[in-house]
Amino acid sequence: MTRTRQAIQGLLLFLPAFIVIFGFIFFPVGYSFWLSLTNKHAVFPHYEYVGFQNYAWMASEQDYWLSLWRGVIFSVGSIFFQVLLGLLAALLLNEAFFGRGLVRGIALFPYMLPTIVVILLWKWLLSASYGPVNYVLQALGLIQAPVVWLGEELLMASTIFVAVWQFFPFVVISLLARLQTIDLQLYEAAAIDGANAWKRFRYITLPALRYVLFVVILLRTFFMFTKFDVPWLMATGGGLQVLVQNLPVYAFRRTFRFMQAGEGAAVSVSLFLLLIVLSVVYFRTYRREAGS
Amino acid sequence: MNLRRISYTGSLYLGSAALVILCGVPLLWMLFTSLKPPQDLFAYPPRIFGRYTLANFHRLISETDFVTYLKNSIVVAGVTVLLDIVVATLGAYSLTRYRYRGKELLANMTLFTYMFAPIMIIVPIYVLLKELNLTNSHLGMILAYTSISLPFTLWLLRAFFQSFPVDLEQAAFIDGANRFQSLIYVVIPQALPGIIATSVFAFVVVWNDYLFARILLNDPMLQTMPVGLQDIYESTIVDWGLLMSGAVIVTIPAVIFFLIVQRYLIQGWGMGAVKG
Repeated sequence: MTRTRQAIQGLLLFLPAFIVIFGFIFFPVGYSFWLSLTNKHAVFPHYEYVGFQNYAWMASEQDYWLSLWRGVIFSVGSIFFQVLLGLLAALLLNEAFFGRGLVRGIALFPYMLPTIVVILLWKWLLSASYGPVNYVLQALGLIQAPVVWLGEELLMASTIFVAVWQFFPFVVISLLARLQTIDLQLYEAAAIDGANAWKRFRYITLPALRYVLFVVILLRTFFMFTKFDVPWLMATGGGLQVLVQNLPVYAFRRTFRFMQAGEGAAVSVSLFLLLIVLSVVYFRTYRREAGS
Repeated sequence: MNLRRISYTGSLYLGSAALVILCGVPLLWMLFTSLKPPQDLFAYPPRIFGRYTLANFHRLISETDFVTYLKNSIVVAGVTVLLDIVVATLGAYSLTRYRYRGKELLANMTLFTYMFAPIMIIVPIYVLLKELNLTNSHLGMILAYTSISLPFTLWLLRAFFQSFPVDLEQAAFIDGANRFQSLIYVVIPQALPGIIATSVFAFVVVWNDYLFARILLNDPMLQTMPVGLQDIYESTIVDWGLLMSGAVIVTIPAVIFFLIVQRYLIQGWGMGAVKG
């Protein structure tokens, strides 16, 4: 087969995928940029170009900044604990012991559950008056009276907890894969040289995990900052939505509750630009540290 | 066995117990709640053991539209996966077995889509589908779902196709097979475990989605399970027995998925391609 024919055939085979990815991802994203410059209503087709008016509106809106801030708290809080818990669990599950396979299976399972199931389950577990969590904590003497986990004060903390529960297995899966490839002879040699467990972790395990941790934190950042369903479902039906409202939820409400698709698009675009800036800074920092 | 050894083993089992309680007990609670008669539900102290019944499941089927949601979910997720896998298999084959300019760019482009918030993609898709009169239809949903699942199915299948040697294929060429025959008779059978795992994966992602279904569908009779379950939660006095029996049913595909792909997951298969 000639080179040109080969190239043409290859491109043809990729064409359907290209059409889907361009038509349904890149084109909508581009269209989103355009919508953010218009006063498009969510339902009616007619609209006009309004320049940067939506962005000016957004910058002056207190709700926007509040949603940005709450999104940061939700993301940073949940990423930190996901990575911490995920790292500890991965180190544990990498050791050899009887029953490891079963524990691994159970620990990874929350990640497979539909978000709606996770949320309903935890709303039930955490419910103030009949919830088993309050019962157990009271029986253990850790709290005196039932705690309102899903009330005004603790809703954000509970939402972060639920997100950590659902997504820490992602960290476990990723880190376990790397841990399994570390050469065991390294540990043996270090032990012979008199390195204790902490030193072996610090100088063998941690450096080996460095790159994977970098990628995992990057991906978790994308996923947590753009998370819609967890904060949305945790607060619906309670009138407390605003307490855990991040930018995706805010964009959704501007678009489909206030019917301002242009404004909603501007909010989404700002989130996208924020993520680009974040990842550039992150890459740079990593490269500098890796270089030194 | 010295003291150190004992404390090491002890801490392993202590940690394991903590993980099992954290992840396993809530799931058992879900299962037991779904099987309890309503009058036992609010027993205080909460009881795990006691009388069991399938009454909640029965009510779920007879008193709510759950069966309709279930059917819709199966149709939408099933058709999406079929479409998705055909397109992704061709694409991945192209990326791993052909040489042309811009190939790396195309591969990286698929990964780049992770940067886009789903909400950023769905608003314009909603506007576009509205103009095409495809909102409130399963066809529109299938198209939208194919687009969100394709990047990572493509990425996973590419990893699979890369992982086995081209020798067999070359042998097939020498025997006079053309590209198409080699794809059907040599490559796909070899990649079949990967294709199955990837399909199940895509199925679960679509099955679990809440956002797209919430936005693209208004008609309750077309709705899929996650939104349906949320609607049952919002429209009734909270009835945990009923809700947990629904949750158990929605979870079944995840269990099946898990049994199929657990081996690959632990090996770190497609690391980073996992979405969510």
